[in-house]
Amino acid sequence: MARRREAMERLASRAVQIGFLLALLASWYAATNFWGVNHLLLPNPVAVFHQLVDVLKTGQFLPDLRVTATEFAAAFVLAMTSGMLVGCFVSRSRYWVAVFEPLFAGIYSIPIILLLPLYVLFFGLGPASKIALGTTISFFPVVLSTIAGFGHVDRTLVTAARSMGASDYQLFRYVLVPAALPVILTGLRIGFTVALLAILGSETIASLAGLGHHIVQLAESMEMARMFAYIAFVVAITVLLNGLVSHLEARGRRHE
Amino acid sequence: MSTGEVAIRIRSVGHQFGEAGEARHVRALADTSLDIVRGELLCLIGPSGCGKSTLLNVIGGLLAPTSGTVEVAGKPVHGPMPHDIAYIFQENALLPWNTVDENVRLGMLFQGVPKAEHAARAQRSLEAVGLAEFADHYPAQLSGGMRQRAALARALSLQTGILLMDEPFGALDEQTRMILGEDLSVLLARTEKTIVFVTHSLGEAAFLADRVAVFSARPGTVKKIIRIDEPHPRNPAFVTSEKFTTLRNELYALLHDEIRKAVGSEAPRGRRGANGGAP
Amino acid sequence: MTSIQSSGVATTARPREGGNPALDSRLRGNERMKAARAFLLRHPGIVRLGAVIVILLAWEIAARVFMDPLFISPPSRVFASLGAVLHTEGVPNALRLTFFELAVGFAIAVAIGLPLGLALGLQPFGRRSFMPIVLLVYGMPKVTFLPLFILFFGIGPASKIAFGVAHGIFPIIVTVVAGVQGLKPILLVSARSMGASRWHILRWVIFPHMIPSFFAGMRLGLSGVLLGVLLAELYVSTAGIGYFTTMFTENFQPAKLFGLIAMLAAMAIVLNEIVRRAEHRFSRWR
Repeated sequence: MARRREAMERLASRAVQIGFLLALLASWYAATNFWGVNHLLLPNPVAVFHQLVDVLKTGQFLPDLRVTATEFAAAFVLAMTSGMLVGCFVSRSRYWVAVFEPLFAGIYSIPIILLLPLYVLFFGLGPASKIALGTTISFFPVVLSTIAGFGHVDRTLVTAARSMGASDYQLFRYVLVPAALPVILTGLRIGFTVALLAILGSETIASLAGLGHHIVQLAESMEMARMFAYIAFVVAITVLLNGLVSHLEARGRRHE
Repeated sequence: MSTGEVAIRIRSVGHQFGEAGEARHVRALADTSLDIVRGELLCLIGPSGCGKSTLLNVIGGLLAPTSGTVEVAGKPVHGPMPHDIAYIFQENALLPWNTVDENVRLGMLFQGVPKAEHAARAQRSLEAVGLAEFADHYPAQLSGGMRQRAALARALSLQTGILLMDEPFGALDEQTRMILGEDLSVLLARTEKTIVFVTHSLGEAAFLADRVAVFSARPGTVKKIIRIDEPHPRNPAFVTSEKFTTLRNELYALLHDEIRKAVGSEAPRGRRGANGGAP
Repeated sequence: MTSIQSSGVATTARPREGGNPALDSRLRGNERMKAARAFLLRHPGIVRLGAVIVILLAWEIAARVFMDPLFISPPSRVFASLGAVLHTEGVPNALRLTFFELAVGFAIAVAIGLPLGLALGLQPFGRRSFMPIVLLVYGMPKVTFLPLFILFFGIGPASKIAFGVAHGIFPIIVTVVAGVQGLKPILLVSARSMGASRWHILRWVIFPHMIPSFFAGMRLGLSGVLLGVLLAELYVSTAGIGYFTTMFTENFQPAKLFGLIAMLAAMAIVLNEIVRRAEHRFSRWR
């Protein structure tokens, strides 16, 4: 009985979700087709769909995607390595944690996007300024989570390993890293997400190429349907990537 | 304790969780009848999962039984009866965002005590449990034992005739339990409360109870009732007396088989009976 | 060794008096070093401040000696330029407008996010149905929609407020929903056993339980609003902050650019601090 009721409720909430999305789509369609909403503000969903198919078929997105992907990969790899290295180094002593952790946390609470104009001035409109911003923004969650991860390793585990004669390396490799990993993985996921945001954001605000830049260009030439298609494309990619990363994170902390 | 009037009348109460045939179906309590006399302290003891907490929740009106009835002070129980029954739970059930004093006062507010009486009653009950100095502390600032004292103060301030205690010292360490048990015995000698006390500690039951109801394994029911004639407040020396040891051993013997049954039904098949003998 | 022996009993009482003066002062220096070390060990904040000063000094020297003054300014010059930035025609107005956008955006995000989060949190069916959608939208890179917001709402404050709300509202909803979930059931049972009415439970159990997550949500919401508003401000280069950052960049006035950004950062820090303090004040019991 109870289990059937649960299954029914799950089905009902799925129905509500799908109904909600369908209603959204239907009112979009109705607004553009029957209610006379200006197509320059809101393009027809069918037109958007055709544009999306066209974008995908012609592969026109490839050069911009390559730029964005390269910038993002560079920024994330830089932030990941520097964040984890600095985090490892700082967390070797409680004292350095007390010195630096509040500093990093304090800077992280300021909207780092503000650095973009400075980076543009310094590195120009090309990929360098995007990479710099992406690295800066995603450095902080990585370093903070690394410090937190190593800081919260159960002392009993360390004592136990020492009592069995573990060397420094063995302690690090078999106790500290696995114990800190779940927290660090969360930091990496957040770093991944914010780096992506930073790259797309800086491409939108000031750039010469990339997916964000392309969307702005379409907006300026008022090619609304194609712009919506591009937005849908970018959103789909990022949602997929974020889902993938969350999945990897969940796998990494399976034992919890 | 005299053979006075019945405070709680339990008549063929049974309870099952879920419906028959379901995976989560559990027959927790089987056809239990019991009279609890005014002013006595009755301990319910039994293997885990035997339904003693379920019975307590049924008495308190927090759970409607699948069958049977409970009467408190002659009235059938259909829900919480805050004017007759106060509860102390195993878990810390103090509101963490209120101080000890505020927690006690909120209990009285919930029960409907006139505001004018709050201060005096809170003061008195906190003094009774020895927490007057900690009135302005938040629960997080207290030790586990002090938190349970605060919960006891809150229950006392409600001035109910009945106190239901669901393994109130279960989460505490042995030494804190001992002290709290002694203090409780002293406190109870002064009040005329009827108390139902769920525990799985043999020593606690033997030390505190006027009667101990030993439960059988699931579906639980009262297997035997043991009377302990020893006046309250009980002296710590009682613990070392021969009478106490005999009682404790009797309880142990009664419980042991039931615990084996309860554990055996969970253990893999091959192991059952293999170590059925005495440890 | 010999000097100690010759000075006799007096030296054992005050062993560092007399004797080898060089060794003596070194010992005393050592002691002072030790005291300083102990002091610093007790006050990591001072070392932190030292680290910040070292970074600023390095920046100052690098900017003065190695770098092109067209691209980077030393901190001293940035500090000196703050007055000039504030006297640039239109900057005070742009700053005021940004502050206004932040305040209004935050107020709207809270006004919508809190009740929505509360409703979803208390209503299991609604939560199961709509939380996946909320989480999906929360995870979307809303910055790709930025040009759309400008097209819809114009280059004035409306678009920036709307974009700020779009960033701030989801963390508020998610945090509040999570907060409602965390209530220990025993507290409800216990209140019910003492005769608490529905109103009692809402007022004395659920509501106080919600306060910390209200504030945590507001803190996260504020970061979201800051991000959204500043993104939109920087994007629109024909008005507001974006106009001035673009202008200072194109005219190679790094001191003024740094100064303007420092002011915005200060604004963000002050707002963050206000919300953080309020949160702290209402979570004393933890």
